[in-house]
Amino acid sequence: MNDEDSYLLMSGNEAIARGALEAGVGFCASYPGTPSTEIATELQKVAEEYGIYVEWSVNEKVALEAAAGASWAGIPALCPMKSLGLNVASDFLLNLNLSGSGPGGLVIVVCDDPRGHSSSNEQDSRFYAKASYLPLLEPSSSQEAKDLIGVAFDISQKQQIPVFVRSTTRLSHSSSIVEVSPIDRKPTTARQEIPDGLYNVPNPHLRHKELNETKSKVHSDFEDLSFNSLESTKASFLILASGVAFRYAKEAAQAIDSPHIDVAKLTSTHPIPQKTILKWLQGRKRVLFIEEVDPFIEEQVLSLYAELEVYETELGRIEFYGKQNGFVPAYGELNTDIVLGALAKILRIDRDKLKVAEEKGINLARELLIPRPLTFCAGCTHRNIYWAIRKIRKRLKEGLVVAGDIGCYSLGVFYDGSMNTMQAMGSGIGTATGLGQLHRFGFEKKVIAVAGDSTFFHACIPALINARHKNANITFLILDNATTAMTGFQLHPGTDPGEKDLTQVSIERIVNAIGPDLFEAVDATDIDATTDTLHRIVQMKGLKVLLCKSICRLEEKKDRAKEPRVFIASEACHGEKCRICVSEFACPALEWDQSKGVARIIKHACIRCGTCIAVCPHAAIQKEGLD
Amino acid sequence: MKTSFNILIAGVGGQGNLVCGRVLAEAAILEDRRPVLGDTFGASRRGGSVLTHLRVADEDMGPLIPKGHADLVVGMEPVEGLRSTLNYASPGTKVVVSTMPVYSPATRSGQYQYPEVSRITSALRDLCEVVYAVDPKPTLDRIGTYKVLNVFILGVLSGSGVVPFSREAIQSSIEKTVGLETSNQLAFTSGIEEGMRLRSL
Repeated sequence: MNDEDSYLLMSGNEAIARGALEAGVGFCASYPGTPSTEIATELQKVAEEYGIYVEWSVNEKVALEAAAGASWAGIPALCPMKSLGLNVASDFLLNLNLSGSGPGGLVIVVCDDPRGHSSSNEQDSRFYAKASYLPLLEPSSSQEAKDLIGVAFDISQKQQIPVFVRSTTRLSHSSSIVEVSPIDRKPTTARQEIPDGLYNVPNPHLRHKELNETKSKVHSDFEDLSFNSLESTKASFLILASGVAFRYAKEAAQAIDSPHIDVAKLTSTHPIPQKTILKWLQGRKRVLFIEEVDPFIEEQVLSLYAELEVYETELGRIEFYGKQNGFVPAYGELNTDIVLGALAKILRIDRDKLKVAEEKGINLARELLIPRPLTFCAGCTHRNIYWAIRKIRKRLKEGLVVAGDIGCYSLGVFYDGSMNTMQAMGSGIGTATGLGQLHRFGFEKKVIAVAGDSTFFHACIPALINARHKNANITFLILDNATTAMTGFQLHPGTDPGEKDLTQVSIERIVNAIGPDLFEAVDATDIDATTDTLHRIVQMKGLKVLLCKSICRLEEKKDRAKEPRVFIASEACHGEKCRICVSEFACPALEWDQSKGVARIIKHACIRCGTCIAVCPHAAIQKEGLD
Repeated sequence: MKTSFNILIAGVGGQGNLVCGRVLAEAAILEDRRPVLGDTFGASRRGGSVLTHLRVADEDMGPLIPKGHADLVVGMEPVEGLRSTLNYASPGTKVVVSTMPVYSPATRSGQYQYPEVSRITSALRDLCEVVYAVDPKPTLDRIGTYKVLNVFILGVLSGSGVVPFSREAIQSSIEKTVGLETSNQLAFTSGIEEGMRLRSL
């Protein structure tokens, strides 16, 4: 983020960070999660230069609480998170909205992930704005993303309530040109007094009433918001669109161009600017809603249309089209083609005219495509853990349930179904505490829960305490690679902070304090030791915790090119009738040599960890210089 | 809908796909255009397909190229090049494709067989009129690293004249984005030569 050029190519996330700097942010607290991570990362890069405080909090609820603390004391605070993070923060959110966020200003950026490219659901987080009665803005480009952060801080400071800005994957992770303004840094000083009455008791209902009044004030401010825009008002067909989907709508309308279609961009999607929208609806016969995930604007506009007399407005009969009546798919991510499809259906245009003609070669060519499933990196110790689990599953006659969690190791669901469940952060150990009680109902399977280190701190500790207190019969594996690997190696409390002014928190000491029946550690690079240890402790009764000392090979500092090379002695390889290393273990540094009918190591992919040596039953995989 | 020049870069995590898109976007800015660069990199580090959509226009476009509207498909990997061509190209689309495969876990396990690369290039030629198939292996072996694949491909794009940006713009954009130290410089120059050769065939 240099200041020399005033036009910069910025991703939506970079633009959000820039907007926060221009708006005078002093405090940022976040938890990493795709597609939101880069917002806090960008601010962290310039934290020292601009005298701001940026932290990776232990989870999103704590992040929002920390940010509220700053805002109460007059420091402008930003709290970016992914969609699912807002679920974690929602308990606090639905109290903070009533208490107020104080004079500093608090902007919550929530990055939704339509289609769930990097998420376990595709939730529309805008409903939290409705549930909490808070204002919500949806940028449609990087430029707007930057500019709206300033608008959001203005509203928050004026009304002393948190303000939402919603992004989606395609905005956060696409880049376009942004005209930036200078960053004017005045020293930020905290107030010594925080506002009175930062609690809702004994009359939360009266706080609710006040919040409704504040919402009305915001609502009338939104009538004048220039980001809500409509270029032309002539056509009888209107598309009402928000966020990045506005770009799709505009492009689709231009492509069809018959009859003329107007496209309105609604930026303040909660509360909707009712008068503005009623004005937009004048003279329209058909209205199509284009918005990512749920019919959020659609429902608000339909309810507005249902009570026109309240607004003393007369509109002719309008036909509405959207997700509620199936003209737009009610799931998945939008794009220009989907908008075109909806327009074609409404206008009864032959879609084939819009489509590129199918070529004769297409079906033939499709047969050449091979799938590219996701997999663990070469040398990843998570693969070793799941390899051990696969082996144990075969050995145990009563069977095994593996309750999993969120992180790189979630890929265990694709690794021979090694992981059986995966929902929210911390839900592996949580569901295991239930499964671990079912022996009384005749449930015989052994129960394993799996979680990573960052997930452990984020959401596993209460469930682990529950498991201890209730004597659940489970084995809990903590895959500790000392970093938040999935999202790009953010520090967490268990990471060695180096020179930074942070104190490392020990997983071992936390687990010891909870007092499981058995607590051991194992080196996850040693696949035999991991398998044997796990096999032994899974069969024991009680609460067992196994700390798997793991390594993220992407972050590993060691120069592995200096390690002895791993190779396959072709003469010892049993060929097609075995294939265990490539077909089952499946490290991406192993491949099949079709011509010789043996396995071989892909030199530039191999990190020389040598784990596969133990996987080969015929000792064909070897390390140079070792016998 | 033809108000933008649409480039789709398709590859596999680790091939430098995103950097390739970034370089071309910065080159577009140097040529006074408005690029929109859409990345799908959620799984980039874990063996998945990675797609970069680059749209160059005079106003902000949506970040995704509509089906059939790619002007240029850059396949950093043969199967991924074909996949994107099928999804986003029309007969007038130009295709530049590397003939160096990256195998997938599905082929390594024996579940699928990676197709003959010649079948992929001939399928591409059935779909699109202009297809430049390029083998980066000799150059990359000579330079001694596969990490410069993306810069080599950028050279091919420039040399074969399939991108609407000047060589100078691409070169200074590479310099700004990844630097032009020896191996990148070598890869870029070799790519240009290869691109010019393909164009003259």
